[in-house]
Amino acid sequence: MKTAQAGTVESMDCLVTVSEAEPGTGLVLNLAGSSVARFSKAMEKAVRETLEGLGIRDLAVSVQDNGALDLVLKARLEAAVARLKEGGESA
Amino acid sequence: MRLRRTMLYLPGNNPNMLLRGHLFAPDGLILDLEDAVAVREKDAARVLVRDVLKRGEFGSCEVTVRINGLDTEYWRKDLEMLVPLGRLDGVRAPKVDDAATVRLLDEALSEIEEKAGIEVGRIKIFCLLETAKGIFNTYDIATASPRVAAVIPGGEDLTADLRTNRSPEGTELEGIRRSVIVAARAAGVDALDTVFPRITDDEGLRRETEFIKQLGFDGKSVIHPNQIPIIHDVFTPTEKEIERAQKIVAAAKEAAERGLGAVQVDGRMVDAPVVKRALFTLTRAGLLEEGTEHA
Repeated sequence: MKTAQAGTVESMDCLVTVSEAEPGTGLVLNLAGSSVARFSKAMEKAVRETLEGLGIRDLAVSVQDNGALDLVLKARLEAAVARLKEGGESA
Repeated sequence: MRLRRTMLYLPGNNPNMLLRGHLFAPDGLILDLEDAVAVREKDAARVLVRDVLKRGEFGSCEVTVRINGLDTEYWRKDLEMLVPLGRLDGVRAPKVDDAATVRLLDEALSEIEEKAGIEVGRIKIFCLLETAKGIFNTYDIATASPRVAAVIPGGEDLTADLRTNRSPEGTELEGIRRSVIVAARAAGVDALDTVFPRITDDEGLRRETEFIKQLGFDGKSVIHPNQIPIIHDVFTPTEKEIERAQKIVAAAKEAAERGLGAVQVDGRMVDAPVVKRALFTLTRAGLLEEGTEHA
């Protein structure tokens, strides 16, 4: 399975890992980090909006968050998806 | 005129700095896609900088991006992704060696502005002169496009190209700073100084800033927020200077109303260049709106 990453675990950033998923799987989301308990809904919304904008339905997304704002999460996810499309790495 | 006492570099792949940079209230921001970003992170940094620009909270800062060099494969993509947003005030181009480099950048900007429906010529160009050739061509570079807002001598790259290194006294940059100031003034653009690399040496920074201010520089690039208040302090006029400038401007206004060319203030002749300098002092003191026409 192909996988790709973008971001860091520095303050106000997040590390996003994306992996290909079988058609029909939908979004498989895994959120981790200190702010997840409070912001998981907002984070999921940001992920769904971004994938919708990119026209992607089936994807496994894992987020290691360190206080990233929505716009940072979205930017990291977009960069990770672009890297996946360019080939990613075999996991 | 726009104040450019301090322009703060923000690493383009660092959300923390990109989002908070304006809070330190520099006159300008440089979202850096070049040296501060590793080659393998260029793509992610571009997306991040684009989204930070979209959000557009930068206080009153002039917002610029340092693009990758025109000798790399990245610079066009940097522009294509960021210019159409319509939020950028300028682009800082590294290693500008000659007028042809400026013209190439100018044409690329015009093309993207036109396509995006942005006023053509809106985005200014800030030229980093990081080679001996660039310094030698300063005037040609500064006049190569009406977009050029400032020329900025480099520090590390330039001294390496000169086969020397940076000393605390800055001996190696002295002649260069003097020649850049003359070329910048002749071309009618700002002269901005290179960064001061020793971020804990406040005294050294103050000394260097006083020196470049006396030479005529408009400001300095900044790599750490702590450097901002020191540079602003040096560039901000004293109470006495402000008082005198206000007197001169008032006297000049009165003279103009009475149809006189020159007047006296405290026993000294005041003519156009003195009034111009006084207006400049008041602008630096924040007492005149930026953009006020100078006499």
